[in-house]
Formats: sequence, C-alpha cells, structure tokens
Amino acid sequence: MFAEFTEALFSIFFIETLINGLLLGGVLALLSLGLNLIFGVIDVVWICYAEIIMLGMYTIYFLHVDGGMPLILAAACGVGVTALLGWLTHRLVIGYLLQAAPINQLLATGGLLFFFQGAAMVAFGIEFRNLGVSLGSLALSEDIYLSWTRLLSFAIAAGVVVVLYQFLSRSYLGAAIRAISQDREIMILMGVNTKKLYLLTSAIGGGLAGLAAALLALQYDVHPFIGLSFGPITFMVCVMGGLGNMVGGFLAAFVFSELITIGGYFAELEWGYVLAFAFFIFAMFIRPEGLFARKS
Amino acid sequence: MRSLAVTRRLLVGLAAVFALFAITVGAQAAEKKIKIGVIYDYTGPLAGGGSDLQALGAKIMIDHINSQGGVEGYMIEPIYADAQSKPEVAINEAVRLIEQEKVDMLLGFYSSAQCVPVAAKVDSLKKFMWITTCISPAVLKGRNLKYVFRPQVHGAMFGELSVDFLNSNAQSKLGIAPKKLRVAIIHEDGPYGSGVAGGNAGAAKKLGMNIVLKEGYSATAPDLSSLVTKLKRKKPDVILHTGYNPDITLFLRQAKEQGLRWKALIGHGAGYGVVDKLFDAIGDDASHIFNVDPVSIWKLDPKSLAPGLSDITAKVGAEYMKAKPDTKTKSAHVGMAASNALVFFADVLPRAIKKYGGIDAESLRKAALETDIAPGGTLLGYGVKFPKAGESDMMGQNMRASPVVMQYVDRKVYIAWPKVLQTIDPVLPLPKGSAYSKK
Repeated sequence: MFAEFTEALFSIFFIETLINGLLLGGVLALLSLGLNLIFGVIDVVWICYAEIIMLGMYTIYFLHVDGGMPLILAAACGVGVTALLGWLTHRLVIGYLLQAAPINQLLATGGLLFFFQGAAMVAFGIEFRNLGVSLGSLALSEDIYLSWTRLLSFAIAAGVVVVLYQFLSRSYLGAAIRAISQDREIMILMGVNTKKLYLLTSAIGGGLAGLAAALLALQYDVHPFIGLSFGPITFMVCVMGGLGNMVGGFLAAFVFSELITIGGYFAELEWGYVLAFAFFIFAMFIRPEGLFARKS
Repeated sequence: MRSLAVTRRLLVGLAAVFALFAITVGAQAAEKKIKIGVIYDYTGPLAGGGSDLQALGAKIMIDHINSQGGVEGYMIEPIYADAQSKPEVAINEAVRLIEQEKVDMLLGFYSSAQCVPVAAKVDSLKKFMWITTCISPAVLKGRNLKYVFRPQVHGAMFGELSVDFLNSNAQSKLGIAPKKLRVAIIHEDGPYGSGVAGGNAGAAKKLGMNIVLKEGYSATAPDLSSLVTKLKRKKPDVILHTGYNPDITLFLRQAKEQGLRWKALIGHGAGYGVVDKLFDAIGDDASHIFNVDPVSIWKLDPKSLAPGLSDITAKVGAEYMKAKPDTKTKSAHVGMAASNALVFFADVLPRAIKKYGGIDAESLRKAALETDIAPGGTLLGYGVKFPKAGESDMMGQNMRASPVVMQYVDRKVYIAWPKVLQTIDPVLPLPKGSAYSKK
C-alpha cells in the first residue's frame, strides 16, 4: 500500500496530474468568472448560469456544423448570443426582483434553469451533439501530453481576469460598476443610472458564459443537460472564493481542481470529489465568507 | 289477427334485443385491450445515451402488433411514460401507471439504476413487469421476484464474454499469454457498470489475468483526466470499459488528448452501442473499438432465424429509418427492444390469454414461466427460457440469452465473437495509424 503510494508520488505521472489539475482549474475559473461578476455587482445568484453556457454551446454548434461558419466566428456569435441572453435575463426577470427576498430571486433563476433546459430539449432534441473538432495536444515528453483546448482555457481564463481587473479599475464604467457594488442606495441618490449598469454587467456576465461555452464545446458533447455537470461545481467554486470576489473565485477554482485531480490520482476518481467537497465544507466552517474574501 | 300482431311485435322486440346484445358483445370484443405502461428515458442524459432508441424499438413493435390486429383479440394500448433519467421518477411513474392509469403490466426500462428499485416495487404490487433492456444482475439476483421477467442478457454475461474473447485471442493475435495480459477495468459506478465490471473481474481472475486497475466513476463526472493518467501509469494492454454517455465520449476524448494507448478497447453496451455518436465524437479513431451487446438484429444471417422473423427485422429497420432518417449506422439498441418486446407479444401474451384465460399478472407469470424458445427463435438470435423455482438465484432471467462481441470498422458493424457467428476476423491489436495505438 505504502510502496504503491510512494511509487505514484514519485512517478512522472504525478506531475501530469498536477498540471491537469491546473488546466481543469482554468476551465472552472472561466466558468465562475461571469457568475461572480454578476453576483458582485447585482447581488443576485444566477442558478441558471450553466444553462446560458449550454445555449451558447448550441449556438456555436449550429453555426459551425450546420451553418458552416468558421469556428472563431461561430464562437464570437456564441458570445454575442449569450451576452444578449444575459441582458434579457436581467431585463425581463431579475430587474423586477431586485427588491425581492433573496429566496425569491433564487427561485426565479432556478425557474429559468428549467425553462432553458426544457426549451433546449424541445428545440434541439435530446441528441448529444459533437463539434467534431479537436485542437490536439502538446507533447511535453514521451509520456506527458497536454490538451491544447485546456491550455487555451487556462490562458483565456487568466487573460479575462486581467482584462476584467483592468476594466474595473481603470475605466469610467468599471469605476461605476465597482461603486455600485459597494453601495447601491447611495449611487442612486448621486444620480447614477443603476438600471443601465446592471444591464451592462448582465450582458458582460452573459458574454463570459459564451466564452466558456466556446471552450467547453471543444471538450464536451452538447446536450440540454450539460449544465448539470458544471452548475453545482461552478457555484461551489464561487462560494469558496467568496461570492462576488473574482480573484478569490479564480484562485478557488485551482484549489478545487487540484483537490479533485490529486485525490483522484491517489485513490479512486470519486475520492477526488469527496476530498474537494469535504474541503469545501471545512472551508465554510472556518471562513464562511469565502477562503479569499477580504475581511469587511 | 290480434295474436299475429302480438307475435310480430314480440318478434320485432326480440330482434331488437338480439341486435342490441350483438352490438354490445361486438363493442366489448372491439374494446378488449391490454393496457401497458411503457417506461423509458425520453429526456435527461440517458435518453441520448441509448434509451430513446430503445423506446423507439419498443414502440415500433407495439405499432406492428396492433397493425396485425393485436394478440388473440386484444389490442395493445400503450401508455408511454418518461423516467427522465432519474430513478425516483421511474419509481413514481411506475406506481402512477399501476395505481392511477390501471395498466395491466409494465414494459421497458433502460437504466439499471431504475430497474433495481422499480422491479422490487412492481413485484410487491403484484404486477407483471417485462424488462427489455436494463442488464444489471442486481435487478434479479437473490431477490426471488415473482412477476418480473427479463429476456435480455444480464450484465455479468457481458463482462464474462469480453474476457472469454480476450482469453481466446490474446496469444494468437497479441502474442501475449492470457495470464500475462494486462487488463484495466473501468466503469460507471451505478448497478449497470458495477454489474458488468464484476463479470469482467470475476472471469479475468479465474483465468489468472493481470488486472492492473479496476475503478468506477460517476457517469456525470465533468473530468476524467486523473483516471486517464492512472491508466497511462498502469500501462494496460486492454481496457474493458462500461459506461453511458457522455462519459464514454469524454473518456475517449481525454484519452486521446492525454496520449493514452491500448492494444484493444472493449466497450459493453449503452454508449458504446450508439455507433454514430462514437464516430461523431472522435472521428475515424472510433474504428476497431469492440462492443459487447446483444447482436445488432440487422447483422444476423436470416437463415439462422425461424421463418418469418427476418421480414420483421426488415420492417423494424424500415420504421427505424422512417423515424430517424439521419441515421448512418443502425444502432443495436432499437433491435434489442423490438426483439425483447416481440417475445412477449408473440409468445407470452397469447399463452396467457388462451391457456390461462386472461392478462392478469398471475396468468402472464405462468405463461412466461412456460416460455421455451429455441435459439434462432427471436430477432436477436438467442432463445428464451426462464428458470423454474429453485433452478437459479436469478429468477426471471432469460437463461438462454447471450451477447456477442462486435467490432466497428469504418462505421460498419461486424460480429467478432463468438466464432460461429463471426462476420469479421477480429482486428487485434489496434492497427497503427489510430491515435490510440501503441507506438
């Protein structure tokens, strides 16, 4: 038993596991960015976020496979469609519930989750659809190969964090968004059009879902229930990083993914998830506001 | 004169009564029907993973039987219900169909995770249940169920056949003695995957094969990279895999990207039975994958079947293409459900009505226990016989069912094992040029 453990620990494949954890972290980080942004600014959790990603994946699939559109262009359209969906979600649903109890907001976005799932099923059927595109992998050695799609996810997630950070800290709009997330009531008194800012944030959040969709579509089959595989884990990453804290969510994604992959490497795959969830519960006990939340 | 008028009136009256009686009897005869609750997953991940195709097979057969005028004067009245890929929904739907819709029996079930609880529940309600698909041994093993019957092959048989196939071909094709063969067994961790993997492991141990890894995972896991890394470390010659979808395509994609190599990959039904999806996901690298399943009915030599069956096979195929015109390679799933449903309608139901006088659970049970179909007597080629009390610890299981090993080459399906049914000399090891082949 111990010999097996040490052999696994000092094997080159442990390094591959660590890298894979990092790359999975990139995917999770990308998934959590938009959700975190929306929560940070509007203070509403979109339970249906993963379903918006699913609709983005369908958009990309149909434009690329059926419409023959180049993948990059299809991905850009996917981002546009999900941005529009984000805008509509706020315009038609959340906008009316800003003053409602949080549980009602949750129920409303939960309802949207089933609406999106059901609508996708009626419109696109239950078929698993596959983009049929693989970016291949990068060979580091004879034994270690890294998926280009995951490397790309990682790079894009890191890039988006930097861009968002710059946008929020340098631009006028970003300053307004930050201000509104700090004090909603005062901003209205100062004559700021909060409605416009909320809509803009929702559209950016939706657009980030489209970006995640573009990278997920390269790795996963598209089907109406794909959101179920990612929704809960994305939500947990956000909570662990401190809901609304984008840098925290980004870092939490890597803690979570490393626990999953390392646990899954030394024991059975499922133990990786047990370890990650146990750590999540423990983290909630010691830092209920999130691992990386700043003390207020 | 008066008495004549009375007689005439009496006659008219009698005629009227007779006519009324005849109409009532006629109406009763026309209304004779057996109400069947048909449960599959029409939504949720299992639907696209094969359940939808199984449901189509059952529906095609029910429509076919009705188009032939039903069975012994009974028309089939199906009530289709969606288990939504969730065991709790399957149980609720089964109970609703029995208690509220008052169905005479249930038919269908794709997922073993649903079958295990539903079978026990239906049996306790003393209703007849005919399982077309789910294969886990746990559905019937050691439970002594009275009213649940499964003409389908069970999971351990799947697991044993792939190992038997390896045992017979390892030396001649791979140049490796079976005892030295490095085998990895990976499976989804529900009753289906665990049941098949149990069959794999039991048979491999008996033959002294080297099991380098045996591991279950959740079919909804968003990442299988650690599993792939472990497989790379353990360097198996052959991987025995049991899963649904999308876990299978996720595994194949991650295995390709992480550079996992093998000499043979043998799948065991479900996701591996949906040929088109495998090729859509990984392109031509899906070529030479093996799949253990009941045979695709369209691959059987018509001469090996009882007269008339090949016409039904052709009709099922035509209806399948009508319902899903985009199909490139017909999936074995449709034929499986159609064949297993046909056994009930052509053999069990007529006997229950004629010999036992009805369609109640008891009559259907007695009729099923007397089923004795020789090999070649079903669309799937295998025979059907259920054990008598005390004969087996798997009451209700068809003891004559047997799967085959198929191999996919360039989107075409061939039978690779057993030898007597072979339509291809199995291609082993995986030819060079595939992304998965050992360098």
